[in-house]
Formats: sequence, structure tokens, C-alpha cells
Amino acid sequence: MTLLKVENLHVQFTTPFGIVRALRGIDFELDKGDIMGLVGETGCGKSVTGRSIMRLLDENAEVTEGRIIFNKTDLLRLSEREMHAIRGDRIAMIFQDPATALNPLFTIGGQINDVLRAHSPAPAAQRRKATLELLASVGLPDPAQMMDVYPHQLSGGQQQRAMIALSLAAEPEVIIADEPTTALDVTIQAQILDLLRTLQRERAISVILITHDLGIVAETCQKVAVLYAGRVVEQGAVAAIFAGPQHPYSRGLLAALPRPGSRGTDLKVIPGNVPSGLERIDGCAFAPRCEFVMERCHRLQPPLFSLAAEHQAACLLHEDRVHG
Amino acid sequence: MAFLSFLFRRLGLSLFVFVGVLILTFIVSRVIPSNPAALYAGARPRPEQVQEIEKKLGLDKPLSEQFRVYVGDLLVGNLGESYHSRRSINTDLRLFLPATLELVIAAVLIALVLGIPTGVLAGAYPRSPFDYATRFAAVAGVSAPSFWLALIAQFIFFSQLGWLPLGGRVSRDATLFYPIAAQTGFYLIDAAVSGNWKAWLDALHHLILPALVLSAYPVGITIRMTQASMLEVLSETYITAARAAGLSRGVILFKLALKNAIMPALTVVGLSFAYSITGAFLVETIFSWPGVGKYVTEAVLNVDFPVIIAVTLVVTLVYILVNLLIDLMQALLDPRVRLV
Repeated sequence: MTLLKVENLHVQFTTPFGIVRALRGIDFELDKGDIMGLVGETGCGKSVTGRSIMRLLDENAEVTEGRIIFNKTDLLRLSEREMHAIRGDRIAMIFQDPATALNPLFTIGGQINDVLRAHSPAPAAQRRKATLELLASVGLPDPAQMMDVYPHQLSGGQQQRAMIALSLAAEPEVIIADEPTTALDVTIQAQILDLLRTLQRERAISVILITHDLGIVAETCQKVAVLYAGRVVEQGAVAAIFAGPQHPYSRGLLAALPRPGSRGTDLKVIPGNVPSGLERIDGCAFAPRCEFVMERCHRLQPPLFSLAAEHQAACLLHEDRVHG
Repeated sequence: MAFLSFLFRRLGLSLFVFVGVLILTFIVSRVIPSNPAALYAGARPRPEQVQEIEKKLGLDKPLSEQFRVYVGDLLVGNLGESYHSRRSINTDLRLFLPATLELVIAAVLIALVLGIPTGVLAGAYPRSPFDYATRFAAVAGVSAPSFWLALIAQFIFFSQLGWLPLGGRVSRDATLFYPIAAQTGFYLIDAAVSGNWKAWLDALHHLILPALVLSAYPVGITIRMTQASMLEVLSETYITAARAAGLSRGVILFKLALKNAIMPALTVVGLSFAYSITGAFLVETIFSWPGVGKYVTEAVLNVDFPVIIAVTLVVTLVYILVNLLIDLMQALLDPRVRLV
């Protein structure tokens, strides 16, 4: 069942250098109980997508087109007050660097307590109990002591666990995790992803996992959307896409991964650079770098073609293979 | 424990500063080319009179001996005697210092109560009409000369509206019919302690105008500092995280952000407090407020060294205490500071 659906989302930023089109028509669906990966390079628009769903874009950003349907309501049409009721309560967010996402001057317990108080009228003693449970549920040792600890006294992994506890406080249905493990050590990374999977299973929470790491997607997600220059170029079940990527960009990304046995050989790279958001792009944004480029690619912007039940790619190579 | 050791370290450092100022003031007062004994003696003294006075003041003794006497007197709390009025400086300061402190504390409280919320809101709504209006008000408050503000305030609230008195600490009625029993020298406190509410109200009436005029500068600077640091803090990730968690705007601005943004404002207000102890003399003069600023200005005009030195030491002490207070507040607000 579709819980959250992003349709044709366009976002642009007004900057001193001109208008930057960060999202140029993002489409994807998050099913209830799934972990969905949004993957792409820096600047492809994955974080902007997350922020757009929360409606927490910076002031110079503007959603020019599109819909974000959550439980049959378009989040973009809600008043600020209605949106406020959704933040934290129904959709929560965790951030890349927990050291900066936690307020340095308040204790962990105090910060969770603030969130609890914002969302329920429970008395202080009950909130304290709920905080202790939350801290225990994210695997922090000695929750009673954690209550009075400041963020700087925790390790990076513990900080991210505290951040996750904070995001869970109001029992949201969706968590948007914006590169939640990028700032962490690899071993800690695995633990945090494990925790996210456990929470998703046990609490039936749906997760949008924003990452640039294909390995994380393969391990953690059921579905994935590959973003390039503000558009989804390929999406579908993780297994299908990793087994047979159909867009030349995703193919290039997967080919660029180091594999067992590739030692000593040069890693494959995709030649060229990501286009800047300032440029006007008429056709396929990937065309200038694509090895299969056709003349039409520079003129026509390819829509997502369905290749299988759970596999779509936005490439003119698949124009004739459409499943309907 | 970390907090206590922090406190003691700061206290030790403060002592060091105080001793430094002690030595400096002594040296300066001894190398200045003027003869204190001649000043003490009055107009056109005979040489033997001057010698006699030198002996009396101990100025004939070697410098090291003079320094020992000077420090010894200070240690027992004796600030000496004015060359000009021959009065004990301790007695004078007991009168003038509370008057100034009452005025300056009132001004600083106004600055905090008015300036911080204004700065928070201006920082929360940048480029809004409110932001521009407070920006203008803040710059005006900081740059308007205090004597000009004082005169304008007197013109409006005394001459035109007749709401507030022209000057002084209490009215003649109060001194005659319900005098304030002096305890601390802070009239508002003394009157309240003795339950003399008529006098309390009278003293408050007299305090309002000079305190408001004196607060113009700290209010302006508090607004600007708070606005600037709020702007910075509000762009931090933890603020976005707080919004994503669904916390209300009020909690985010006045609790989560303000705690991170308040320190620069507190620091400048603290320093302007210490500065105003002597810097308020224009306001004190215009409002006939019997304060330290007026006292030391007269002392400077009369080259009355013991008074100048005494006031310098008192102001030093205030600076030290204010800085200590600021550091303590910083340590209380920010748990990371205590570790440094």
C-alpha cells in the first residue's frame, strides 16, 4: 500500500548566480513498512527531496510544481499550522551529522522530553518513563544515566541513536533518514542501519533512506530510486535493479563499485561531470555522459518507462519495451 | 566538581588582575608631575606648610614605604581621604556608589528585558518590517548622545506631560515626611525593607527617566547582538531538527535557540554595566543624581588623587566581578565550557 507518493516535484533555489533547478520532476512511491532508498551523487537533489517532504526548505527555495501525497492529503497544500501537526508526529527526520543535529546545550533527556511534551499532554513522570523506554529501545546503555548527559559526552554512534530516539518520540509513521551513517565509522554504520531495520520491522515504520552509498541500499532497502540531476532515472525493487540496472547511469554507478577480484585494475568511472542546476536541460540530463546516447536524447526528456512490475527506468533505450 | 575548580581558577586570575591595577594606579599617581601636598594645602601655601603636609601625608617617605602603607590601608578597607574636601572617601562612596549602582542596574535590567526579546524576534524574522524598525531603533539608541536624550526626556515627561520628576533620587516631600531609613543605600531596597511604600514609589518615579536614558545604549547593543547571534543559531542543523520534530516556534526561539544565542548579548551588557559606573556622569549630572560619575568627575577636575585612585579601584573591582559573573553564566549555560 502506498503511504507516501511524490509526483512530478519541482524545486528551485534563487541564488546570487541565478535560479538553480534542484528538482526537475521527482516521482517515487513509498510503500507502508518499506525502507526505500534515495540514492545519487552530491547535488542530485536527494536531500532537497527529503526537506521538501518535511516542508523545511530554506527561504530561497520554492516548490514550483508537483504533489506530495501522504495518506491521501497533499502536504504541499496544507497550511503551515496543519503541516506543523504532521512534523515529528507523523513524519520525522534524522540527519547526517548527529553532532550538529542535537542541541549542544540541552541534555538528551531534556531534548526528548521537549518532543514528547509537544505531542502529548502526558504528565512529567509519564514522559520520563517514555524517555527511558525510548533510550532503551535504540540500544543506548544505561538509559537513566543517558537522560542527564549532554550530546558532546556521547560518541558519534550514541549521538545518532539518541537522535533516532528523539525522532521516534511521537511515534511517526515515516522517518526520513538523510544520510544517517555518513558521519560515522563503518562498524558503527552497520549498527545504526541494523537499528533502523529493527525499528522498521518492530514498529512498522516506513523509512526513506537518503544515501550516496549503493552498498547501504543493497543491505538495507527493499526499493530504491536512483536520482540524477534532480530526476529519478531508475527505480524499483533493489534486487531487480542491482541484478540488471537498465539506465546507463545506474549501470555506470554499479560498474564503478570495486568488486572482489578487481584489485589491481582501475575502477571504472563515468566520464564527464554532473550538469549544474543553473543550466537549462531540454533532453535527458545524462545524455552528454552517456555511451549509448542517440540524437533524440538531447531533445526529449525521457519519462519513466515500466520495464517490469517493480522496475522503471527513464531512458529512451527502453521506449519500445514499455509494459503499459 | 569541574564547576568549582573552574570557579576557583577564575577567582585566582581575577586576584592577579586586581593586584596589577593596584600597582599601576599607585605608580601613575606618584609619577604624575603635580604636587599633592601643594594641592592639599590650598591656594598659595608657604613652603614650610607644604613640607608639613608632605610629612602628614607620608609623602616624604620612600616609595616602597608609601606603597606598603597604601596597600595596608586598602587591606583594612580604608580608601583614604579626599585632598579637596578632607572627607573620608569611604563615607562618600557609601553614599554615591549605591546611587549609581541602583541607576545602572535598572538600566541594565531594562536592556535585558527589552533588548533580548526584541533581538530574538528581529532575528527570527529577518528582513521583515519589524527587523528594519528595531535595527533603526537600535542604531539610534546606540548613537544618540546621552545628554541629548536626557534633555529630550526631561522636556517631554517633565515639562510637557508632567508625569515624572526632573531629577534627584527622591522628592523633597519624601525626605521631609517619609524619609527612607538608609541601610544599603539602594533606595528601592531600603524603602521596601522598611515597608515605606510611599517613598518606594517616589524613588521609583525618580529612577525611571535617568534609567531609561542610560539604557538607550545597552538596549540598542543588546538588540543588535541578540539579533545577529540568533540569525546564526537559527541556521544550525539542530534548529531544523527541532522543527522537523514538530516543536513549536515559541519553544524553538525562546528556549532552544536563545540559550545558544544569548551569551554575546550578556557579555556586552555586562561590560556596559561596568563602564556605566563612571560613564554615567552626564546622565547623573543632568538628573542631579548623586552618583560616582559626578563624584569622580569633580575629583578629576580638582586633581584629587586619593578619590581618583579609590574610584579606579572600585571600578576595577566591578569589572572583575562582572567578568567573573559572565564567565560563570557561560559555564552554567554551556556544559562544554567547564571542561576547558
